[in-house]
Amino acid sequence: MKKTTLSYHIIKNVLFFCIALFLVTFSVYYYFARKTIREDTRENSVYLAKTTINKIEQVLTLAEKNPQIIARMLESSFVSKDSLIPFLKSMLSVNSSLYGSIIAYEPNIFPEHGVYFAPYVYRQGDTICSSVLGDINYEYFYMDWYQIPKITNEPYWSEPYFDEGGGNVLMTTYSVPFYTQINGKRTFTGVVTIDISLEWLTKIISDVKILNSGYAFLLSRNGVIISHPNSEYIMNQTIFTIAKENDQPGMRETGRKMISGESSFRAAEFKSEWKPGKLWINYAPLPSSKWSMGIIYPEDEMFASLHRMNIILVVLIIAGLISLSVVISKIVSNLTSPLKDFADSARLIAAGNFNVKLPEIKTEDEMKELHNSFSFMQKELDEYMATLKETTSAKEKIESELRIANEIQMSMIPHIFPPFPDLPQIDLFATLKSAKEVGGDLYDFFIIDGSKFCFAIGDVSGKGVPASLFMAVTRTLVRSISDNVHSPLAIMESLNRSISQNNDSNMFVTLFLGVLDLKTGELQYSNAGHNPPVLIRKRGEAIMFEKTKFIPAGLFEDFKYGESSIQLEPGDKLFLYTDGVSEAENSQGELFGEQAIMQIITNNITARPQELIDKMSEEISGHVNGYTQSDDITMMTIVYNG
Amino acid sequence: MKSHSVKVLIISAFVFFVNLLYSQQAKLTFAPQWMPQAQFAGYYIAQEMGFYKEAGIEVEFIHPSANIPATELLSSGKADVISLFLVTGMSSRSQGMDIVNICQLSQHSAIYIVTKRSSGIDKLEKLEGKKIGVWKSGFDEVPKAMMKEKRIGVEWIPILSSVNLFMLDGIDAMTVMSYNEYNNIINCGINEDELNVFPISQYGYDIPEDGLYCLNSTYETKREDLKNFITATLKGWDYAAANKAAAIDIVLSRMKSAHIPANRVHQEWMLDRVLEMMMVSASDVKGKGVQNRSIRNRSVQNRSVQNSSFQNKRVRKGELLESDFDQTAKIIKSISEKRVSFAFDEFYKPLNY
Repeated sequence: MKKTTLSYHIIKNVLFFCIALFLVTFSVYYYFARKTIREDTRENSVYLAKTTINKIEQVLTLAEKNPQIIARMLESSFVSKDSLIPFLKSMLSVNSSLYGSIIAYEPNIFPEHGVYFAPYVYRQGDTICSSVLGDINYEYFYMDWYQIPKITNEPYWSEPYFDEGGGNVLMTTYSVPFYTQINGKRTFTGVVTIDISLEWLTKIISDVKILNSGYAFLLSRNGVIISHPNSEYIMNQTIFTIAKENDQPGMRETGRKMISGESSFRAAEFKSEWKPGKLWINYAPLPSSKWSMGIIYPEDEMFASLHRMNIILVVLIIAGLISLSVVISKIVSNLTSPLKDFADSARLIAAGNFNVKLPEIKTEDEMKELHNSFSFMQKELDEYMATLKETTSAKEKIESELRIANEIQMSMIPHIFPPFPDLPQIDLFATLKSAKEVGGDLYDFFIIDGSKFCFAIGDVSGKGVPASLFMAVTRTLVRSISDNVHSPLAIMESLNRSISQNNDSNMFVTLFLGVLDLKTGELQYSNAGHNPPVLIRKRGEAIMFEKTKFIPAGLFEDFKYGESSIQLEPGDKLFLYTDGVSEAENSQGELFGEQAIMQIITNNITARPQELIDKMSEEISGHVNGYTQSDDITMMTIVYNG
Repeated sequence: MKSHSVKVLIISAFVFFVNLLYSQQAKLTFAPQWMPQAQFAGYYIAQEMGFYKEAGIEVEFIHPSANIPATELLSSGKADVISLFLVTGMSSRSQGMDIVNICQLSQHSAIYIVTKRSSGIDKLEKLEGKKIGVWKSGFDEVPKAMMKEKRIGVEWIPILSSVNLFMLDGIDAMTVMSYNEYNNIINCGINEDELNVFPISQYGYDIPEDGLYCLNSTYETKREDLKNFITATLKGWDYAAANKAAAIDIVLSRMKSAHIPANRVHQEWMLDRVLEMMMVSASDVKGKGVQNRSIRNRSVQNRSVQNSSFQNKRVRKGELLESDFDQTAKIIKSISEKRVSFAFDEFYKPLNY
């Protein structure tokens, strides 16, 4: 696993939180900043549109005044038809914004002039010229500037047009209808017009500077482009043809709203071939002519300051996060540096160096507590180790004494095989494997009375040193008693009497005592509560002795034991054992059992004594399978050779 | 777009030098019946692409104005050939001009009567008593005859050329050409679904329009040149159908040099409609080795009124049907009470068969 540090975890979590916090804050900030900029731009834009439109309106409304006044005068018959031209000339001479003016009459108003009568005054260079318009080739009655105010009964600003005579200047005409009373009825009589150049207007519009590359444009009532930075559009295109050419239905909709006199500031729902990128548009109508001005804001420029701020902000935040990480890392490493020292100290303490110097803590915080705990642990460990040393040496002493005791015990029982090389009638082998250093099992054998072989196997209650002492006493008593009496019953009863007296600790011993007459092969035996031995006949038959009804020795001083005898044939064997064999336990608590003993014997019926015992030991080991030995294991095999 | 202009320029220059080699060429003056626009694309192309030169004729273009109609240019001898509506040509003849039709290009009527849907006029009959704008300078005969025959009394308001009076609701309805004023209205921001459209062709008045005319005397003396002119002109139209973008470039440059507001979208629309009426499409000219470079595929405006509404006519290119002649004669009688006193074969002298 990758090794990580505490400061790494803290920095990771703190940074994660900080970044999340930043993102939320930034989004909120961005949203509101954008909204504010949009609102500011809207306000500025509305103001800009208003002032620009006012500038244009000033000229247009002023221009409207002249024909309106003339129309009133004509309706009131203030002016005679002969003075019309001088009148118009003087008007033009004082109003330099006017390019021309016509007073056009309905057919046959003045019979002496025929069908057409339309005095016309116009500027040509610096001079003001005049003529009377109208003939079969110039039927002004059907021209928009005449016909539209006539039919609609309202003044009319014409669609802009290029004046072919006057140097291709973009012009517009304002027409006002006038009326006279004919037969007591207010009757349409003619139209007064003025022509004005739109060059000034184009200039006003093109002077509108928005951000870096925003611009203003002007649409006529029909959506014709009157002013636009792209001069190709002017008079050639309507906003609707541009929309179609570029397949921008949104532009068509915007155009429709514009020419219907609406005003708005909004994100443009179209893309412009002329000005790429996302756009915003503000539009507002010119009240007099019903034209519409549009102002285009490139969005990237509109929000340029915000984007600049964003970059600065992001850089600052990244720098902040980096320094935050550095500071956190410093603080954490300052705070936790004793921990590393503590870890080192703990390692040294674990290695046994209890007096290692603990890191110095100057603060009075958790670290100090840790320090105190550590030094307390050091002290406690030190004391405990001292105690442990003492205990261990005491234990070692006891153990060595026990080992010696075991050696002594083992030396008490015969362990040289074959024990009687001079007696061919008998062959035997025996083992004693203690569960603890000193055990309570015993076996012994010796020759009494010259021709009798006495043997015993027993098990003392309890274990350890007391059992081994009791066993030593039992063995010694058996040996000494059998010097005087030779029957197993007499030996047993004498032994019982001896060990029962002064037996305050109530210890007892199970014992099988047998005396084999080597001459006759008669085996006399007495069993005091011991496991029944197995008789293995030479002819290949194994029989377990009957279970004894006599209690172990050492319990009741006057207990009457019995004696039995059995005739051994040459080649017969006896297998004797203690309960350590039959009750050998494995980890599942299963006992080895007498059946297993019988089975092994049957399988090895002809084995020699040592072979049989080795085989038995092997099977027991296989059964317990490494489980702790709970009791002494003692086995003895005797062969009577006759 | 520019590549087309460059191509046209190079070809023009080439043609100019070829022209220097041919010094003796017959001269013809041609006057279309209106200002330069896509309605006459075929003629301009025939000139620009040198089809006239190849045919051995030199063609000069003159344009009429609102006040000087093409017929006047013809009768005054300023023009040898003019383009006229059939009804105008026949009227002129019945009024004494000795003119003949030498080729009938258009086979259908492009005239619509339009009203704003907001006016509530959704049937022809509802025009009773309403003001209808109509061209002052002609083309008014067929709609007038139709309204008269249908006994719908309307007030005709003569208009020179703009749609402004209609836009300002000064009139209730307006006669428009499908290829011109109709699209002008659309290009002034009125949506097609805001208009009610009555194509007069659907009311039994599918009268052919543009045809070529000359004085009978010219027909007699310059027959060969006129025949060459017609052949080269038809070739020009085929080329226009197959190369719309190039055709529009040529038209636009003509318009600009005539100081007329020039609008590509509008001219494209016009060319499409005019070709429909001539029943010339790019598919008609396949196999002539002319690569079809069609106009950019734009979303066509909702063309509720389409060539599909035209009755199929069994007619050869440039042919005038006698039935159309007869119907037109009836119309002239109906509106002017003058009889057409000349016979079909006196009037129609085809040169391309």
